[in-house]
Amino acid sequence: MNKKKKKAQLPFRLNILFFVVFLLFSVLILQLGVVQILNGEDFQEEIDRTIQDTTKIPVPRGKIVDRNHNVIVDNKPLYSITYTPAKGVQADDRLDVATKLSEYISMYDESNKEDVLETITERDKKEYWYLNNQEEADSRLSEEEAAQMEPADQYNTILERITEEEISDFSEQDLEIILIKKELDKAYSLTPQTVKNENVTPKEYAQVAEHLDELPGINATTDWNRSYPFNNTLRNIVGTITSEEQGILAEKEDYYLTRGYSRNDRVGRSGLEEQYENLLRGRKEQIEHTTNKNGKVIDSEVVVEGERGKDLVLTIDMELQERVDEIVQKELETAIQKHPGQQRYLEDALAVVIDPQTGELLAVSGQHYDREEGEFTDAALKTLYDQHRPGSAIKGATVLAGYESGVISPGQTFYDAPIKIKDTEPKASHRNLGLVNDYDALKYSSNVYMFYIAMRIGGHYNHQSNDPLSFTGDPFQEMRNYFRQFGLGSRTGIDFPYEATGYVGEKTAGQLLDFAIGQYDTYTTMQLAQYVATIANDGYRVQPHFLKEVREPTSYDDKLGSVYKRNNTEVLNKVQMDQSYVERVQEGFRQVFQESGGTAASYFADKDYNPAGKTGTAENEVYEDGKLLAETENLTLVGYAPYDEPEVAFAVVVPNNGRVNGRHPINHLIGEGILDTYFELKEERDQQNQSDDNDDSKEEEE
Amino acid sequence: MNDKQPNSSIDYTLVFILLLLGIVSVFTLYTLEPVLPAKYDNSNFAFQQIIWYIVGGIVIVVTMLIDYDRFHQITWFLYGVGILLLLLLFLGIPAQYVVEANGAVSWFSIPVLGTIQPAEFMKVFLIITIAHLIVRHHAKFVQREIKHDLWLFTKIMLVAIPPMGLIAVQPDLGGLLVLIAITGSMILVSGIRWRILFGLTLLSVLFVGALIATYYLFPGPIATFLEESIFKHVSSRFIGWLNPEQNADSGYQLILAMMAIGSGQLFGKGITDMEVYVPERHTDMIFTAISEQFGFIGASVVVTLFFLLIYRLIHIALLSNDQYGSYLVTGIIGMFAYQIFQNIGMSIQLLPITGLPLPFLSYGGSSTLTYMLAIGIVLNVHSRTRQYMFE
Repeated sequence: MNKKKKKAQLPFRLNILFFVVFLLFSVLILQLGVVQILNGEDFQEEIDRTIQDTTKIPVPRGKIVDRNHNVIVDNKPLYSITYTPAKGVQADDRLDVATKLSEYISMYDESNKEDVLETITERDKKEYWYLNNQEEADSRLSEEEAAQMEPADQYNTILERITEEEISDFSEQDLEIILIKKELDKAYSLTPQTVKNENVTPKEYAQVAEHLDELPGINATTDWNRSYPFNNTLRNIVGTITSEEQGILAEKEDYYLTRGYSRNDRVGRSGLEEQYENLLRGRKEQIEHTTNKNGKVIDSEVVVEGERGKDLVLTIDMELQERVDEIVQKELETAIQKHPGQQRYLEDALAVVIDPQTGELLAVSGQHYDREEGEFTDAALKTLYDQHRPGSAIKGATVLAGYESGVISPGQTFYDAPIKIKDTEPKASHRNLGLVNDYDALKYSSNVYMFYIAMRIGGHYNHQSNDPLSFTGDPFQEMRNYFRQFGLGSRTGIDFPYEATGYVGEKTAGQLLDFAIGQYDTYTTMQLAQYVATIANDGYRVQPHFLKEVREPTSYDDKLGSVYKRNNTEVLNKVQMDQSYVERVQEGFRQVFQESGGTAASYFADKDYNPAGKTGTAENEVYEDGKLLAETENLTLVGYAPYDEPEVAFAVVVPNNGRVNGRHPINHLIGEGILDTYFELKEERDQQNQSDDNDDSKEEEE
Repeated sequence: MNDKQPNSSIDYTLVFILLLLGIVSVFTLYTLEPVLPAKYDNSNFAFQQIIWYIVGGIVIVVTMLIDYDRFHQITWFLYGVGILLLLLLFLGIPAQYVVEANGAVSWFSIPVLGTIQPAEFMKVFLIITIAHLIVRHHAKFVQREIKHDLWLFTKIMLVAIPPMGLIAVQPDLGGLLVLIAITGSMILVSGIRWRILFGLTLLSVLFVGALIATYYLFPGPIATFLEESIFKHVSSRFIGWLNPEQNADSGYQLILAMMAIGSGQLFGKGITDMEVYVPERHTDMIFTAISEQFGFIGASVVVTLFFLLIYRLIHIALLSNDQYGSYLVTGIIGMFAYQIFQNIGMSIQLLPITGLPLPFLSYGGSSTLTYMLAIGIVLNVHSRTRQYMFE
C-alpha cells in the first residue's frame, strides 16, 4: 500500500516540476517577444546611430603691439605635419602611415642625425620588428604560456624573445619609419598631434600635401612660434607661453580643461601672456566628424569657424622704453665703474614711467648687473616684485597726513634741530635747517618736520629734550591708512599676474618716526609711481595698466583690426583730503625741482618742461646669512611734468648704493634722462607729424 | 531473474532532438567563424564541436553499457572524485595545472586533454549521489514519519553543501545555482511531505527577503561588506543587471547581448549578417548569435526544441517504474532546465549574467561531455524500463 502511495505521488510531483519548467520557458518566450519584437527597432536604431566627434584645430595666438602699433610679439609661421587618428586606429594602421610618410619627410638632417637616432630605444625597434613579423613572433609564445598571462604580459614576453640580432641591422629607411611611428603613437584619437614642425622644408610640405589621400589622419598645416622683433626689450613683462609638450599648466589643469583646452595646448605661462590668455588664445576651429559604426569617418564639417586670438595694444611706448632702458643701463654702469669697490652691492636700477592721468604705463624698465657674468640683464619685473625703503620720496604723503589729521595746518612751522628722545641717539635732518614751514620741509627735505607730524599724530605734543615717546591711539595704523590712499602699502591694481605690496614693519613707537621719513615700510617702484601720479593727478589714484585696447584679429599682416575693447582709465580712489592740501604738496614738489636750494633743483631748475617731484635717500643694510655685510643707501626719485598739466610721471629706485663721496647721482640722472627723453620724443613726433601734414597738404595742392 | 528487460532499447525521439540541437550548434559555430576576435583565428570551433559530439556519442554508448542500477556501487567513489578535484582546485594543487581565468579558479589545464572544469562533472555526480540517498532511505524507512523526512532532507543537504561551497569560492555563481536547482528538483520528487517542503520554501524566502531588506536598510555597511568579500563578484553582477547603462563595466556585456538579440527582430538579419560584437559568443553567448541571425522565430524554435527535450525527459522519468531511474532523470531535468533558463534569461535581462554554457549549443569540451553523460544516463534508464503489460 505504501508502495502504491509512493508511486502515485512521484508522477504528481514530476508534473509539478514540468509545470514549473513550462512556466519558466513561457517567460523566456514572452521576454524574447518584448526584446525582439517590441523593442527590436530601438536596438536596430541604436546600432545604426552614427557617432559625432569633434576635432579642435588650434589657431594662432593674438599679437601684441605697443601704443604706436609697433609689433612687440608676433607669430612666426612654421610648416607642420600633424597626425589626427580616427577612433579605433591600431598599431598596424599607424605603421602603414609611418611607412608611407617616410617616403616624403625626413625626421633628421646631417647635423642632428646621431642625436635623433639615439632617441630610438630597443623597445621601439622590437615593436617595429614585431609588427613586421607578427606571426613569427607570436609563435614564440606557446598557448599554454599565453593562457596563464594577461594580454600585456603576453606582449612583453614576446618582445623579450626577440633577439638582438633580429633588431640589429635596420636600414636607415627602417629607422626613419620607427622615428615617425614614435610620434604617431603619441596621438590621442581625434586630437591633432605634431609629427614634425621643425625644419620642415617647402618640398616636404608640398609632397605631404599632395599625398594626403593616401595618408589617413595626416595633415600638412602651419604651426606658429612666438617671435620678438624688439628682442629682449620688455620680454619678462610680456612673459612666455608653454610648448606643446608642456601643454596646459598642471596646477590649473581643471581651469583649462573646463574651458575647452586640449592637454597639449600652448598657454600663457607668465606675464601679460598669462594675464590676457583669454583674449590671446582665440577660438579653435571645430570640425565635426561623423563616424559610422565601423569607426570610419564618413563626413567632416566645420561647425565653428576658427578665429585667431585677439591682438593686444599696450600702453607702452617701445621707442621710449628702449631709450629708458638705455639710460637706466648707462647710468647704472657709470655708477658702478666710478667706484667699483664701494659700489660692490649696487646691482639694480629700476624705473617706471606712467601717464598720471590715465594710469597708462609708458615704460617699465629694470636693469640688473650680473657681477659673475659681467653683463646687464633686463629686470623690468623687479619694478613689481622687489620692494625697497624709499626714503624722503614719500614725504609728500606724510605732510598730507599731517594736514588731514589736523595736527598741522598749511603754513605750519617747526624749528628743525636734532630731537633727543630718551635712550636713543638724537634724530636730525641731513643738516640743521632752522625754522621751516611746510614748503621748506619738502624743498629741503626736513626730517625733523616729519618727526613732529608723526609725534603729533601719536598725541605727543610739546616734546622736551630727552622725553620718552608716549603715544596714544594707533598712530601707525592712522598714518598707514593715509599712505594707502596713495598706493603706498596697498595693491596698485596693475593688470599683471603678480605684484608685491611691500613689507609692513612691527608697530614699535620709535619706528613711527622712521616710518614718517620712508625709513621703515618698503614699497615697490610701481607703488611709488602710483603715489607720485596720485599727487600729480590732484589726489585721484588711477590703476596702472599695460593694456590700452584689444583689437579684433585681421588677416592682414600689417594692419590691426577694429577695436574690440578699450581699457579705460580706472580711478581706484580719490584721496580723502582737501584739494588745497594736495595743491600745497604739489607746490612743495615744484620747489624741490625748480627753486634754488631744492634738493633736485641743480638737475631740473633750467628745464622748460616745468617739472616737480621729490628726492629720497634711505639707509639700507645688506645682510648675508643674517650677518651685516654693509651699510648702503637706496637712492630714489619721484616726479612729474609739466607741473600744471601733468602728462608724465615717474619713479626711480636704485637700491644699495655705497656711501662714498662724489657718488654718481644716479637717481637724479635717470629721472632727468626720462623726462628729457619723453619731451624730446614728443617734439620729434610733433615735427614729424607737422611735416607729414605739410607733405599731405602740398600733395593736395598739387 | 532480471526483472528489467530492455524493451525498445533506445529512445529515438530523444536522440533525434539531440541531433537537431547538434546541427544548430555546429551550424551556428560555423556562421560565427568570421566575426570572432582575432585571437581565435586559428580555431575551428564548428569542426571541434563535431569532434566533441562524436566523443560525446561514445560516452553515451559507454554509459549505456552498464546497468544504471550498478551506479549504486560506485556512487561514493564518483562523489569522492568530484569533491577531490574541487578541493584540489581550491587548494591550487598541482599549481602548474590550475588555471585562473575571468577572475575565477575553475579549470585544470592538462596537456593533450586541454582544459577540464570539475564543476561540470560534479553536477552529474551529485545527481547520482542524491538519487542513491533517496532510494536507500526509502528502502530503510518503509513506514515514514516526519522525523524520517527531516533526516532525509538533512542527508541530502549534507552531500549537496560541500560541492556547492567549493564551487561558490571559485567563484562560479552559475555552477552554484545549477547545483541548487538540481538539489531542489530532487528534493521536490523525493517524497518529503508537502508541509515540510512549504516550510522550507517559506524559510528560504524569508531568509532571502531578510537579506534584501538589510541591504536596503543599511546600504552603506552592506555595500562595503559586499565590496570587500568574495560576494563582490556576485553583487557587481546584480548591479550590472539592474542598471546596465550606469554600470558600464559589469553591464557592458548585457547591453551588447540585448542589442544583438533585439536587433534580430522578428525574422532576423539573415545567415552570417551579424552587426554587434558580443564577447564569448561561441560559448556562453551563443544564443545571441542565433537570435540576431534568425530573429524571434529562430530563437523561439530553439527554445521550443529545448522544451521538447525537457518534455521528453519528464516523459522518461514518468515512464520509469523504478524510483532510482526517476530520481536520476529528475536531477538531470533540473540541471538542464535551469541552465537553459539561466543562459537565455541572462542575455535578455531576466537574470543577472553568470558564466554558464547553453547545453548542447555552446562550444566546450567539459560541458558537452557532461551533458552527453547525462543523456547517456537518461537513455540507460529508458532502455531498462520494463513495460508492464497490464498497467
